[in-house]
Amino acid sequence: MFKGDNMDRPSKNVETIIGPSVKVEGDFNGDGDVIVEGIVVGNLTTKNHLKVGKGARVQAKVTAQSAFIAGEIIGNITAEERIELTASARVKGDITTNSLSIEKGARVNGKITMNGQKKTEPAEASVETKSK
Amino acid sequence: MYLYIYDAFLNHKKYANLLNRIENRLADLEIKGKICRLNVLKNMQEVIEDGIKNGVKTVVAVGDDETFSKIVNIIAEMDITLGIIPVNNRSKIAEIIGIPEGEKACDVLAQRLVKKIDLGKINHQYFIDSATISDSQAILDFDKFKISPTTKKSIISICNLGFLSTNQSIYKQRLSIPTDGLLEAVIAPIKETFFSKTKSASQSIFPFKKIQIASKSEPVTVTIDQQAIFKTPVQVSIAPKKLKIVVGNKRLF
Repeated sequence: MFKGDNMDRPSKNVETIIGPSVKVEGDFNGDGDVIVEGIVVGNLTTKNHLKVGKGARVQAKVTAQSAFIAGEIIGNITAEERIELTASARVKGDITTNSLSIEKGARVNGKITMNGQKKTEPAEASVETKSK
Repeated sequence: MYLYIYDAFLNHKKYANLLNRIENRLADLEIKGKICRLNVLKNMQEVIEDGIKNGVKTVVAVGDDETFSKIVNIIAEMDITLGIIPVNNRSKIAEIIGIPEGEKACDVLAQRLVKKIDLGKINHQYFIDSATISDSQAILDFDKFKISPTTKKSIISICNLGFLSTNQSIYKQRLSIPTDGLLEAVIAPIKETFFSKTKSASQSIFPFKKIQIASKSEPVTVTIDQQAIFKTPVQVSIAPKKLKIVVGNKRLF
């Protein structure tokens, strides 16, 4: 789905871009997609997708629906759906998610917890039961 | 009833022909009204207040972006509709709301497609386009978090109607939409070369409803719509659906 550090991923939900020339301090709470290329210190929460670009430095507890990480994160990461770490990713903290992809070269220092539970709609849940 | 306000610079004789053509077209379309030509002795606020007393429901500003910005501040608190007739093709506001220049604008006015758009509010003054700060000492306080530029030179724009003129592909040709109930803070670092200053492509964009702008040391200057100036600390907020304005079919939102 993602190709390296390509920032051209089309997205209708892009709302917040924290550029490389900006420092955010405090509890950042976003509703739409968030792209981080700068510095974030505190808490970083979004209800949608989070992208931490190469060169970004995040010292925060991170919560998102899904995350693509190519930068440095010091703090625990929780993503409901999935987390993707590229070769340039540096994570110092615990990771909690349902689906995890780690590219060769990425560094993770922390505990990884895979819940293995998909948050599904009732209709989809019933299909799963049948297939069993 | 319509009130047409001609900005003071239109008193120059080079605009006489254009104004004649506009007046003829308004007469053809049967939307002629009272005309007020501003000058040093005639203040825009007084003209509008007198007009409202006489039953004016629509005020049409004839001029450029500066004219439209001035009038927005006066009528924001009043229950009247704003129309604009740009006298040249350099009006950014007219382009965004889909109003052509000169007498062609009269046809759009006659169609009377009215939209309620948001305005930005800085302390107690409204702005239609944007507020800008050309100082990296500024701090944007979003209540729960603070943002500060890390480069020596940058421009912070608080956009309501303004284009987000960035090279970032996601926002390329995208507008700060004036009906979404949000303003956008755009922070652009400036790259200085020997000959020129250019905004860097890597801008930051934060949508918001209300923020405080302060500074790290000395108060910084906030300019709204390239005319009024404030010193920090200031509060910037959105006034949703505050202005009734006649728009065209070719509007960009």
